[in-house]
Amino acid sequence: MKSKPAKTNTLVRKSTTAGLMLIVVAALTLEAISLLQNYFSRKGLMEEAQLRAESLLETTRLQIADATHQAESAVRNSIWIARWCLDYPDSLPRIPSRIVEDNPSVMGSTIALVPNYSRKRPLYSPYACREGDTLVMKSLATPEYDYPSKEWFVKPLELNEGYWSEPYLDVGGGNVLMTTYSVPIQDSKGKSAAVLTADISLAWLSEVTGSAMIYPHSYELVVSRGGSTLVCPTTDGPLMWVNIEDLKEMVKDTEGFEKIARAVNAGESGNFPLKLDGKINQVFFSPVDLTGWTAAIAIPEDEIYRDIRRVQWLERLLQLLGLCILLLILRTTAKNQMKYQKMNEKKELMENELKIGRNIQMAMIPNIFPPFPERQDIDLSACLIPAKEVGGDLYDFYIRDEKLFFCIGDVSGKGVPASLVMAVTRSLFRTVSAHEKSPQRIVTAMNDSMSDMNESNMFVTFFCGCLDLTTGHLRYCNAGHNPPFVVSDKVRTLKVLPNLPMGVMPKMSFKEQETDLKYDDTLFLFTDGLNEAENAAFEQFSEQRLEEILNERRDAQGHLDAMKQAVADFVGGAPQSDDLTMLVIHYMNNTTPSSSERHLILHNDIQQIPQLADFVETIATEKNLDQGMAMSLNLALEEAVTNVIQYAYPEGSDGLVDIEAIIRDKQLEFRISDSGKAFDPTAKAEVDITMGVEDRPIGGLGIHLVKHIMDSVKYRREDGKNILTMIKNL
Amino acid sequence: MEVKIQKEGKEVLVSFIGRMDTPASQEIAPQIESLKADAAGTIILDCKELSYISSSGLRLFLTLRKAAAEKGGKIIVRSIGDEIRNVFIMTGFFNLFEIE
Repeated sequence: MKSKPAKTNTLVRKSTTAGLMLIVVAALTLEAISLLQNYFSRKGLMEEAQLRAESLLETTRLQIADATHQAESAVRNSIWIARWCLDYPDSLPRIPSRIVEDNPSVMGSTIALVPNYSRKRPLYSPYACREGDTLVMKSLATPEYDYPSKEWFVKPLELNEGYWSEPYLDVGGGNVLMTTYSVPIQDSKGKSAAVLTADISLAWLSEVTGSAMIYPHSYELVVSRGGSTLVCPTTDGPLMWVNIEDLKEMVKDTEGFEKIARAVNAGESGNFPLKLDGKINQVFFSPVDLTGWTAAIAIPEDEIYRDIRRVQWLERLLQLLGLCILLLILRTTAKNQMKYQKMNEKKELMENELKIGRNIQMAMIPNIFPPFPERQDIDLSACLIPAKEVGGDLYDFYIRDEKLFFCIGDVSGKGVPASLVMAVTRSLFRTVSAHEKSPQRIVTAMNDSMSDMNESNMFVTFFCGCLDLTTGHLRYCNAGHNPPFVVSDKVRTLKVLPNLPMGVMPKMSFKEQETDLKYDDTLFLFTDGLNEAENAAFEQFSEQRLEEILNERRDAQGHLDAMKQAVADFVGGAPQSDDLTMLVIHYMNNTTPSSSERHLILHNDIQQIPQLADFVETIATEKNLDQGMAMSLNLALEEAVTNVIQYAYPEGSDGLVDIEAIIRDKQLEFRISDSGKAFDPTAKAEVDITMGVEDRPIGGLGIHLVKHIMDSVKYRREDGKNILTMIKNL
Repeated sequence: MEVKIQKEGKEVLVSFIGRMDTPASQEIAPQIESLKADAAGTIILDCKELSYISSSGLRLFLTLRKAAAEKGGKIIVRSIGDEIRNVFIMTGFFNLFEIE
């Protein structure tokens, strides 16, 4: 019993561990799925960001290309006329003014002569530019400006091709970011003569980049070939001009910056992460052809992945919810399982106890058959088959004073309560019948005892009998039980008064009945579990079938087996509905050809003793006994009879000694009875036959010899008679 | 039941003929009683023709044996048959008597 809680604990621990494992596995699986999804989502979002960035960069590039193309074509289209005008220097200012006039995007234009190309004008650079809506002509050939040293002038001549200058702040024009496209012009002889330029404002760039916020905090910048940033928005608005070194200062992530710078310098496009203001930004960049600039977009990573972050939160929440539900389900399941387990354990325990109960109950009733193998006069067999583990049926029997006391009973109800009453009934039967031989008095006493304490109103139908084995006289008393069958020449029911069952009310009178059994008669007792046994069609076995089976001549065990078989065949697979009990008593006595009786009556006179010799002689002849055996039997009989004559009857009084011999196949039984005073010869102390001559008492040898010769010597006092029964097995 | 008593000097030969049952024992009791006088010598109990003995007879044997033991005499049981021998064994008399 003690191991059971431990077992449960282990089980709980096991199921808890299993539950935890399940949750961990589920959590890990969910996490893995979430990570995978996260990975692909991020990849997708990054690809999207890349697409968006690339398209923006493309737009920017196209816009720049468009703007620069206007300037470039304005300049290129004027090359031929400029070449022509070289011969007419006065018309030279017309060229830049025409360029500015015709091209709205061009802010200013000049044609600067190579120094000393014209002797008349060693330095000459008429400059046309917009001031508001009007066109103004200026000259750049001033000592302060010193145009021949300017990049826009030197580079195209040097490269001998069109050149876009580094962006610069046009101090004169109101801090406007400008860039200049310049082409060299050769005269008809192929000599470098002048440089024709067109300035364009880059103010629109900041609009382009500023308006193109693909993410809330993304920003675009355009970097020139030389490393000065053209447009770079700050928190205060678009920053128009930043030196690359300053930018580098602003960006703390030197390593990332240099990586980008290297790629940009190599004219590549792509993207790299860069830490800006403590946040990782993804920087996409792409070169802008013609100008040699690079457009770049920085997008904070958390904005790229903002959606996914939101989804992730939702996902985590759902995961947690799912796990909680799983935990709840597991707990409930574990609880149910434990409940089930406990129930099972209880059931098992109960079944075990019932099994033990059944064993105890079965041990209570005689269950070894044949029960009296040494007896020739009685053959008996019985069975009790409870419908449940334990039942309320009972039977009992035993032999006392050559009388067979037997009973059969059926407690109302089934199962444990009935079995308890059954146990009580059986004990009562043994107790009461121990000193009572009238079935009527036995039943009355039992009824009184049972009714007194019968709080549960259980009653017992009971049949009690007392069969005198010497005469076949049967006294019986029925308490509401079904009448037994008597198998004699034909099968008949024993006539019984119904009476009330035992335990109904105390102080009830039961009627006793009697009958005589003939030799070879069989008494068949049963409970209603037999005649009321039902098959699947709810038909009862019935007493009629019962009678038919009893009709055949069989011994006790034979009848029992035949009946069991018949019931089993009849019932088939239908479950047994009631306890089934049978008790078969086959009364045989001595009428079998091998048994007979001899009778001798003597007076209480020693002189009659020699008659015993003749009595024994006839038996010895009949049984073909040898002389030694005959003498031994004679001796035992003489000693027993002498005892009676000497001790039972007072000196001088007249009395009889009745000697009865029952001669059986392999057994002789002598019954010596007298009506003298109570005298039990078997109660005498044993003689010590090893004693020496001097100490040896004279008496006591007689009963010693009797005990020595006979296999069984029993004394009883009955109805004022001394009865000594001696049995000798042959 | 017949008892023959022959005296030859100090030896007494007692022959039992027939069945020594209870009434017979009572009958011969005085004869056996008289033999106690010779218990100092040798008494030979010849059982050759003794066909039966009951406890009463055994008792007579025992009284004689006790007397002999008292007087320093000797009891010899002679020619004992199988059945009587068996009774002697059952009662332990076999060890009390000298059996020839």
